[in-house]
Amino acid sequence: MTNSNYKLTKQDFKQINRRSLFTFQLGWNYERMQNTSYLYIMLPQIRKIYGDNTDELKQVMKNETQFFNTSNFFNTIITGTDLAIQEKEGIKSLETVSGLKVGLMGSFAAIGDSIFAALIPAIFGAIAANMAVAGNPTGVFLWVAVNIGIMYFRWRQLEFAYKEGVNLVTRMQAKLSALTDAATLLGVFMVGALVATMINIKIGTVIHLGDLNVVLQDKIDMILPKLVPAAIVGLVYWMLGRKNMTATRAIFIVLFVSIALSALGVIAKG
Amino acid sequence: MGIQWWQILLLTLYAGYQICDELTINSSAGSAVFAGFISGVIMGDMKTGLMIGGAMQLTVLGVGTFGGSSRIDANSGTVLATAFSVGLGMNQNQAISAIAVPVAALLIQTDIIARFANTFFAHRIDKLIEEHKYRAIERNYLYGAIPWALSRALPVFLALTFGGGLVNSVVSYMNSQLSWLATGLETAGAVLPAVGFAILLRYLPVKKHFPYLIIGFVLTAIFATIYAAVGALGGAVTGVAKNFTYNFAGLPMLGIALIGFGFAAIEYKRGMDKHEAAATAAPSATKQNVELDEKGEIEDDEL
Repeated sequence: MTNSNYKLTKQDFKQINRRSLFTFQLGWNYERMQNTSYLYIMLPQIRKIYGDNTDELKQVMKNETQFFNTSNFFNTIITGTDLAIQEKEGIKSLETVSGLKVGLMGSFAAIGDSIFAALIPAIFGAIAANMAVAGNPTGVFLWVAVNIGIMYFRWRQLEFAYKEGVNLVTRMQAKLSALTDAATLLGVFMVGALVATMINIKIGTVIHLGDLNVVLQDKIDMILPKLVPAAIVGLVYWMLGRKNMTATRAIFIVLFVSIALSALGVIAKG
Repeated sequence: MGIQWWQILLLTLYAGYQICDELTINSSAGSAVFAGFISGVIMGDMKTGLMIGGAMQLTVLGVGTFGGSSRIDANSGTVLATAFSVGLGMNQNQAISAIAVPVAALLIQTDIIARFANTFFAHRIDKLIEEHKYRAIERNYLYGAIPWALSRALPVFLALTFGGGLVNSVVSYMNSQLSWLATGLETAGAVLPAVGFAILLRYLPVKKHFPYLIIGFVLTAIFATIYAAVGALGGAVTGVAKNFTYNFAGLPMLGIALIGFGFAAIEYKRGMDKHEAAATAAPSATKQNVELDEKGEIEDDEL
């Protein structure tokens, strides 16, 4: 039973969005990850729904500090759906809400990570880096502008989720998967393009056959230019698939092998 | 030239801020390339900062925060590399390999400490829930920013304050006796982006989209070579023929990106068409709401 028939207002949405944008994940911890973050951004609203100092509120607060971890770009979709249900059903919806949270956090984490934590940073990071190594800061500002656009998207989704509720999750899935598919395609294409432009390494070995000097790199260029960078990326890709290999380890292996090969004159900066 | 106290202060503050930015609002101020930009501006040499930041950005391109795992902190590494490069005259590429990458890796440890420290605040919040202390819950939640900020600000501050002299002597030694290592570090800096691309490919569905990997690579490799060759040719001709004034620009990456975008748009349309076809053609669609819609339609027709 809810104490009041409180309905969330525009002000409530603003408050949740403000809290989500500026603080979500600050409480990230190993034990229950985003649990306190989830409680914090909805605390004023559940206080209004259940009333201060009630047993119901305590029960809800405990429920909302259970393990939670999802994409910080989609978290308010879950919060919005959660609050829409609690506002209607009150304390008896706790089990539904828990199930919903656990059920949704995984899929939103997957979509959010692949689009917002991997793809967009990869594409705009690459463009920004591309310009930056030439001493041009424009790409940095472009990336900031894109992220401001994403903030707007994060701001809008709460109210949308609140209104559409559970319906949203089933309906949006098709669109999201088509979008993810297209976005990953663009990502793969761009990696190919970046390999060809951003790794400036050539083979330094020159084979001496009597009076004849064979510059190995010239021969490779006749097959296909930029073959050396492609081979290096392929090698690292294979290495990353090995057991016990982490990104950090791979970076250090590449660092040491490059220094050794450079000292031997096999590779050189192109 | 050295590093001034106010520069240390500003760089330390930025190092603490950038991790919080990345966790919350995500304005991209928590990216390596931005770190390079801002440290460059603080140190009075934006170009050097951008070059170091750009190189580090490419190295960690695919290293995202997946499921809350710790990752190397390229930003703090960039801050230190830029500060030492501009302030103490270290070669940029050497600064990347010798400072930025090791520091970035080292800060995984402080990241882990921050995530542990926040468990303490989470437990305090558990207790405060029992006592209905709402204000204190909110306060203790926001305290979580402190371990996060310190995990980056403290190492950066210590390195900038005490590392200068050490770095200085290493630099002078490397430019004389250890020139092979200096060149090696430079070359390594140029290879490192390969790791970033490979990690990225590990996260992307390469098997599904591999044709586009080939198209993207070959198209760009050939165009880049042509652009470079024609540019060089043009430069040579300009030197001889005075009335030849064509301006040669580099390969526009945006153009390449737009080709990729075209492919992506085709894929998106195909995906949506497939979904719509499945929704209308199959009467026993797996999605419940689709079934309900169709039943509704049939009833309408009967009426």
